[in-house]
Amino acid sequence: MRSALPTGVLLPESVLQSEWFAVWATFVAINTLMYAALSIAKILPKIYPSDWVHKRNRRAETRGIYPDPGS
Amino acid sequence: MKNWNFSRWAGLSIAALVTVAAGLLWFAVAARVEGGEGATSSSGLLLGLWSVLYNTQAPSQSAMFAAIALALLLAAGIAIIERRIATRYRRSSDGTSTPLAPKIIMAATRGVFAGPITITVLIPAHNEEASLPDTLDSLFSQSPPPDRVIVVADNCTDGTERVAAARGVEVFRSVGNAHKKAGALNQALAVLLPDQGDNDVVMIMDADTQLDGGFLAAAASRFASDRALMAVGGLFYGEPGHGLIGQFQRNEYIRYSRELKRRRGRVFVLTGTASLFRAVGLRAVASGRGTSLPGIRGDVYDTAALTEDNELTIALKSLGGLITSPSECTVVTELMPTWRTLWNQRLRWQRGALENLGAYGVKPQTVRYWAQQLGIGYGVIALFGYLSLLLVMALSLDTWVWFPFWLGIGAVFTLERVVTVWKGGWRARLLAVLLIPELCFDMFLNCVYVKGILDSAIGRRATWTHLQHEARAEEEEEVAR
Repeated sequence: MRSALPTGVLLPESVLQSEWFAVWATFVAINTLMYAALSIAKILPKIYPSDWVHKRNRRAETRGIYPDPGS
Repeated sequence: MKNWNFSRWAGLSIAALVTVAAGLLWFAVAARVEGGEGATSSSGLLLGLWSVLYNTQAPSQSAMFAAIALALLLAAGIAIIERRIATRYRRSSDGTSTPLAPKIIMAATRGVFAGPITITVLIPAHNEEASLPDTLDSLFSQSPPPDRVIVVADNCTDGTERVAAARGVEVFRSVGNAHKKAGALNQALAVLLPDQGDNDVVMIMDADTQLDGGFLAAAASRFASDRALMAVGGLFYGEPGHGLIGQFQRNEYIRYSRELKRRRGRVFVLTGTASLFRAVGLRAVASGRGTSLPGIRGDVYDTAALTEDNELTIALKSLGGLITSPSECTVVTELMPTWRTLWNQRLRWQRGALENLGAYGVKPQTVRYWAQQLGIGYGVIALFGYLSLLLVMALSLDTWVWFPFWLGIGAVFTLERVVTVWKGGWRARLLAVLLIPELCFDMFLNCVYVKGILDSAIGRRATWTHLQHEARAEEEEEVAR
């Protein structure tokens, strides 16, 4: 049974034209974009700037439980 | 102990902050949106709807880029702050406020060989005769096996002590303990810790946990190569079984492990299922309680905490201790078999987290945890906004309309869901690629989150539900023989 005016299941389609719906849709749109950006960041490998800096690998002393000889 | 008082404010302030953030965004959007167009014919309506999301009422290009940039800046900002704080603690020489800082420990142990790493395992058990055998099996199949295993029998009315004795492990019976796991462990540790040296490590593990091969060896090697390492936390993943609800949880844990690996072992929580601690670290926590740490002096665990493992982690971090969660130390843990038990477990975790934040306040070491809570809170608002928008659209439209742009965004989410759960096999990936079921699961968790904030806000007494295991018939027979 279809009426003359286009109506949705429960709410009239004019709801979609209202200003509050437009604000709501934009609010959701911006949030969705933010989370999409975070999702891409989650897929990509993590960046560690300290990896690029050349490190002096020689330690002044050992960090392990066995003391350096002669100490 | 007034912990619950602070958790009330912790939860409420998080809720308030995320609501304000969402509100700011809403009003910023409302200020820029112009009035809607009048109703037109259905074909015009379709185009009108399209232009709603793209044109005048749509986010402009600059708004879109601002949204993306904001999200990335926030994420990067949190990461940088966390890194800075960790570096500051790592370089600290202040022995009073950070007695476990690496520099202090290294200086105190320099030049002296305090013996090889020894591992003493404490297994707190309350009526765990069904799960204990598997746990002990996994312990003794480690190479090298632990030096000492002690089952901390807490108010057991079943055959737990019998099973333990039959396997030849020591039993410590708690005396007059009213504080469940934390209380029992405190009693056992009070006896154990005084004799432990600098390289003696205590492992706390649950009675329903199985260690993967190489766990103890990897942990011992980490402790041996770094005198300043105070704790090694296990990476847990879910046991097989339990159908769909089990797969949801398994997927969660897989994603968590992946995140920890990306963080190179920088751990959020030293899991109570299986973690190892240098004795000196536990002793420092015990003597710090009542002054720099919440709780009673002499207690290793804060018995007022709902999630004692989370609290202990924050305590160690507060004292400057180095902790890590290496990817070689994996452990299988039990899953919640029903929605009710899952609800209870997650509610306890959420309330415990809020409590701990309330007890410690906003400190450098808790900034990350606050940020996580805020992130989850905002996610609740975002997801709810998204789902209710879809609902309104579904109820208002004659026919469903697909928008290529938003389908594209949906593909990004689907890709992320699948990639982050890749290691879990085809079942995990299938559940991920369907998107909707996990979305529903997220909604479930969001409800737990909100309930947690509400409950802590009104100060409702938290309950601690214990998952009862049915004894297996064969095991009973064998032990009775």
